[in-house]
Amino acid sequence: MNALLQADAIAVTFGGLKAVDGVSFTLKAGEIIGLIGPNGAGKTTLFNALVGLQPLTSGKVVLDGDTVSGLKPHKVAAKGMTKTFQNAALFPDMSVVENVMTAALLRHDLAGARMRAEQVLDKLGLSPIAEADVADLTFPQKALVEMARALATEPRVLLLDEVMAALTPNEMDEVMDVIRALKAEGLSFLVVEHHMRAIMALCDRLLVVNFGRLIAQGTPAEVAANPAVIEAYLGHGAAGKEAAHG
Amino acid sequence: MLQALVDGLLLGGVYGVIATGLSLVFGVLGVVNFAHAEFLMLGMYVAWFAWRYLGLDPLIGSVLSFIVVFAVGYGVQRTLIQRVLKAPPAAQVFLTVGLLIVIENAALMVFGSDFRSVSVPYQVEGYRLGDIFIGAPYLYAFIAAVILAAALWLFLDRSWMGRAIRAVAQDPMAATLVGVDTGRTYGLAFGLGVALTAFGGAVILPYITVSPTIGGQFVVLMFTVVVLGGLGSVAGALAGGIMVGIVQSMSTLIFPIQLQNLCLFVIFIAVLALRPQGLIKGA
Amino acid sequence: MRQLFSPGRVVLLLFFVAAAVLPLVVDPRGHLLRVAAMVLLFAAMAQSWNIVGGLANQISLGHAAFFGLGAYTSTLLFLKLGVSPWIGMFAGAVVAGVAAALLSIPTFRLKGHYFALATLAFAEVMRVIANSWAGLTGGPVGLSIPFMGTQPAYFAFRAVSSYYWAILGLLVFVCIVFQLLARGAIGYRLRAVRENENAAEVAGVDTFRVKLTASIISAGLTAMCGTVFAQFTFFFDPDSIFSLAGISVRMAMIAIVGGLGTLGGPIIGALFLIPLEEVANAYLSSKAAGLSQLVFGLILIAAILIQPRGIMAFWPKKRRAARAARSSVAPAQAAAKGA
Repeated sequence: MNALLQADAIAVTFGGLKAVDGVSFTLKAGEIIGLIGPNGAGKTTLFNALVGLQPLTSGKVVLDGDTVSGLKPHKVAAKGMTKTFQNAALFPDMSVVENVMTAALLRHDLAGARMRAEQVLDKLGLSPIAEADVADLTFPQKALVEMARALATEPRVLLLDEVMAALTPNEMDEVMDVIRALKAEGLSFLVVEHHMRAIMALCDRLLVVNFGRLIAQGTPAEVAANPAVIEAYLGHGAAGKEAAHG
Repeated sequence: MLQALVDGLLLGGVYGVIATGLSLVFGVLGVVNFAHAEFLMLGMYVAWFAWRYLGLDPLIGSVLSFIVVFAVGYGVQRTLIQRVLKAPPAAQVFLTVGLLIVIENAALMVFGSDFRSVSVPYQVEGYRLGDIFIGAPYLYAFIAAVILAAALWLFLDRSWMGRAIRAVAQDPMAATLVGVDTGRTYGLAFGLGVALTAFGGAVILPYITVSPTIGGQFVVLMFTVVVLGGLGSVAGALAGGIMVGIVQSMSTLIFPIQLQNLCLFVIFIAVLALRPQGLIKGA
Repeated sequence: MRQLFSPGRVVLLLFFVAAAVLPLVVDPRGHLLRVAAMVLLFAAMAQSWNIVGGLANQISLGHAAFFGLGAYTSTLLFLKLGVSPWIGMFAGAVVAGVAAALLSIPTFRLKGHYFALATLAFAEVMRVIANSWAGLTGGPVGLSIPFMGTQPAYFAFRAVSSYYWAILGLLVFVCIVFQLLARGAIGYRLRAVRENENAAEVAGVDTFRVKLTASIISAGLTAMCGTVFAQFTFFFDPDSIFSLAGISVRMAMIAIVGGLGTLGGPIIGALFLIPLEEVANAYLSSKAAGLSQLVFGLILIAAILIQPRGIMAFWPKKRRAARAARSSVAPAQAAAKGA
């Protein structure tokens, strides 16, 4: 029952706008939590706040007993938490393996980082494109390399920001298998995803945010039956179609 | 003390107009024009020649400076600056730095390295208000600057062209959709920006001598003013100019004259570091 | 995967060998050798700039500050305390490194235009101080290094060739440092910072530290060039040594014209530009003052407009390096992402 990650009433304010407004939750080792909510609900801002890209206005983030709020992102990464970017923010001047190596340098020397990067690429089935230029990749490939780069920092908590956005159903299944395998190794995830099928299949619990506030949480089944969620989110129709599929 | 304040205000008003041109160019084109001070030099030369050969007072010659430098600026924008508008900063920086070197040395070749000054009847005259002495050339330059600033405000606010310039500054794509020719507007904005600075150069000619390297003395001053006011903010540049004028004349009370600029540099770096969006602009 | 004898390395090696034997085949006192020495010195300066400007894409317009600090530190140590300029060279590097570190504190968040402006102002501060603090620096008159014949321990020689070889040694040293940085862990981190600072941070890169390290090394090497310049020319003054167009812009321009962020770029840029300037000075200065500088400015404009990737872009094997330059100078969408 020990919480690996604990967010304690975190808030982010831009000018007068409360992008994240007093959100608290805990994430256990080996758990996958889905973060859902309409566009502009503050999901990406919440991710940025957790990894230190966005300074908190108030609140606290604790990772395995250490307070990480207020640390710079590279320090948070060193403590074991990192994220992927919504629109793959790869280093375009580098090959795939070099992108991943750069992250692996956090815990290894140059030779070790290369080995580590190759392992990670292999795990994600990206070895064939290791030497490719990032500019030549397809969108799904970019998303996977983004994930590989994050994994190369050897995180305990990984925040995935819409890595499946551009994937076909088959590719999505593959990525979900990878995530489940990593979960089995003890890695914890916080996932933002618009595909309800993936969210429902993957997540142990869901957090629902709207206008920066946490409006519901629970198992996927509980959340799907929560009237507040239906009002704020499913009621918009966007997910209604998805629900019909899954 | 009060004397220094008044001196600073009179200087600062002119600095404001000079720097407004630079700020306008950045605000509309998104390009930091490192060559901007060279157009001040060109404006001063135009006014000098107008005085020497046409017998025009620089305050009147400044209109000629405005027109000539506007034309030069428009041409420079359409042939050179336009081509790096979408390029990364490094390309813009080095293009305008190249332009700086070319203009300065072309001026050196054409005008020679002599310092030139004008003589006007009111050069050493002034007005006395209690303990305060107001030099006539400073006062007239300030008045000219205020008139131009008011004209600029009217132009940007009321005229169709001015509104087009502001529209392009805010959203070039949307401006295109409503029928604004963005290329031509960029040219006009750049021409207007350098012409304002040239005008400012012309009106200070009665108390500052001109040489091809005069730009170098103004470049940091100009950037300090603009950074204080927030890059791209026209009103900010005017306010920043007055602030810098006052700081400069106050600092002469404390520091030897050659350290005046040092004061400015320190302010400049400090503002860049602490509030790159400017001290005045926004909250 | 790393080739020990890739075509690029062979060409570079041949260049250094040719450069080393040059004094043996030309008049060792002649003007040609002086020009060649300036080519090598400016190549070393541009390579030092390249560490910050090319690898980290921080467009500095103030490297003259470090160049001048190097020249002033070693020369003043020698003139006032009799310290050998060889030692002064390293003292200058330390002084410049400290200055770079101090400058990094207010400027490390700045990008693009803002960084260029701040560094430009910093070099101007140095120029004003050197001009004003006459008690220490000699003021606007500048400093002269007395002629002492050949005294190797004090970096003083009769023969131009001795200075030439010292400068060549410095260039080789700077190139080795550049290559170690570019190929080492810090090279990956610098490129990551250049491409996308937020992504680099999240991937565990301490972006402040990486940029700080690069700027300290770059400043230190530039200061060493400054010492060598002072010894070679025997005289300098604040306006020339802290010059924006003469030093700061020229360092950057040589790297850009040659090929930003590449090992060979600064050498090719210097080989192209310095002799060209020399010719322009020789044939055009008599016609009109300023003409050679005018040509220099026109070349800079032309380089930016015609081939922003520099001469190295024509080297087929350097596709990746060329792309690096493209994302920092040439019109490309890639750069917008990094901002």
